[in-house]
Amino acid sequence: MNILEIEGLKKKFGSHQVLDGLTIHVPEHSVFGFLGKNGAGKTTTMKIVLGLLKADAGEIRVCGERAVYGQTKTNRFIGYLPDVPEFYSYMSAVEYLRLCGRITGMSEKEIRRMSGELLELVGLKGVKKRIGGYSRGMKQRLGIAQALFHEPKLLICDEPTSALDPVGRREVLEIMEQVREKTTVIFSTHVLSDVERICDRVAVLNDGKSVMEGTLEEMKEKHKKDSLLLEFPRKELLKQFVEEPIFQNLLSRAKLEGCQVIIHAKDIEQAEAELIRGLNETRLMPSRLEILEPSLEGLFMEAIQ
Amino acid sequence: MRAYTAYTAKELTEFTRTYKLLIIGLVFLLFGIMSPLAAKFMPELLTSFMPEGMQITIADPTALDSWMQFEKNISQIGLFVIVIVMSGMMAGEYSRGTLVNILTKGLPRRTVILSKFTAAVLLWTGAYLVCFGTAYAYTWFYWRKTVNTPGLTEAAFALWFFGVFLVAVTILGGVLVRTSYGTLLFTGLAVVAQFLLNMIPKVEKYNPIQLAAGGTPLLQGQLEAGSLVKPMIVAGACTVGCVVAACAVFHKKKL
Repeated sequence: MNILEIEGLKKKFGSHQVLDGLTIHVPEHSVFGFLGKNGAGKTTTMKIVLGLLKADAGEIRVCGERAVYGQTKTNRFIGYLPDVPEFYSYMSAVEYLRLCGRITGMSEKEIRRMSGELLELVGLKGVKKRIGGYSRGMKQRLGIAQALFHEPKLLICDEPTSALDPVGRREVLEIMEQVREKTTVIFSTHVLSDVERICDRVAVLNDGKSVMEGTLEEMKEKHKKDSLLLEFPRKELLKQFVEEPIFQNLLSRAKLEGCQVIIHAKDIEQAEAELIRGLNETRLMPSRLEILEPSLEGLFMEAIQ
Repeated sequence: MRAYTAYTAKELTEFTRTYKLLIIGLVFLLFGIMSPLAAKFMPELLTSFMPEGMQITIADPTALDSWMQFEKNISQIGLFVIVIVMSGMMAGEYSRGTLVNILTKGLPRRTVILSKFTAAVLLWTGAYLVCFGTAYAYTWFYWRKTVNTPGLTEAAFALWFFGVFLVAVTILGGVLVRTSYGTLLFTGLAVVAQFLLNMIPKVEKYNPIQLAAGGTPLLQGQLEAGSLVKPMIVAGACTVGCVVAACAVFHKKKL
């Protein structure tokens, strides 16, 4: 079952078409990475799902129910962590969570149980001071706790790691890995290493559309290995290599960068054999020869071009 | 209902912890003390400032003077302080983005407005009671039997009612314009508009501003209490209208 379905979503700010027929399906129990450049429309999409912004066209279903702007009915399925979560600074974490519990109609007993559990999970147990005195990382962690408080079926996180230092980022990612068993996570970011670490499905947003969608393996499979990297210790050697007539066939689709050359070929093994034979004949010895794995970064750059 | 009480409680906590309760409490306590005192000692003050050789006769102050001071202080500065404090209620939530978490938890938007209105009215009522109680005690202390000036209950109730109406206008302003200065301006314009409308004799009878402006003439016996019924009905309708409109507008606001 799909926990979230977005069909043909359109949104325009002034003359700028931010979303132009975006369609995304998020299956249950996945960690869904939502990628895109700054300003690609990631936050806009999330806000529309949450009923905080009005869409110009398109339909959104959360757990099979239609999400409507201004109404917050479908939000009972959703936990939301904004990029910079804001709290009432004069409250303590426990008080804030109690408020969250009460407005979602939880019993006092449940509120106490969940507060204990979640504050433990995010490492804020026993912190007595008011939220006004929290660091950014602490606020982010409290943000996760409040988002998970009513045990949502869908957790939406808007760039949860981008404002954090390496320690804070690791903590947040670890928490998200822990909760994946209980809930589906959608997670927008432009930090690709985070995606590779915890996401199992990915969609890349560009020009208001999803230009690539699928599991990480599927995407890497589709863009299978087709490049060879060759590095020389000195630039003169590279120059010599490029000018050598024997390699001209291979170099027809190559890219030069510093002391490196990247060769693209349809049949990578044949190209490699040809290259090694040529290198042997010309006695040009590279310092490195490598078949390039398709990286998420490469896929991402390709997708948004 | 539980969400409504929880959110109203949150508003009241906010008043306490951000010192709004303290500020308003002190200001209104001060007015409660000052109104009778000013009435009592005004003649003495005036005489002491008179140049030598000049003589004026001032009537002895009465409980009526004390209550007139009360009406004047509250209807001018008191309401102004209330509106200033309330003008940040919506603006603060908008600018800090604190509503996003709360609304995405499924709290209905109208509950936010109703809770804020309730909390604001509670604060205003509390402050007003403190002020009135203090003024009553001091007036009784100085003038004893005459403390219950004719028309006092009606005048005091009318002024309180006008305060509730003003709170509703301020909440609507806060929802509409997003900033606290803008909210102040909105409420200010609403009051100015009522003053301007007062120039049309036919409108005057229905104008809510009569509830605040009519207090003094009522105490002086120049106005009948019955003439405040129409402004009160209008103010009541406008209060409900403002709250309903605030809910409706807030439903369409992007956050």
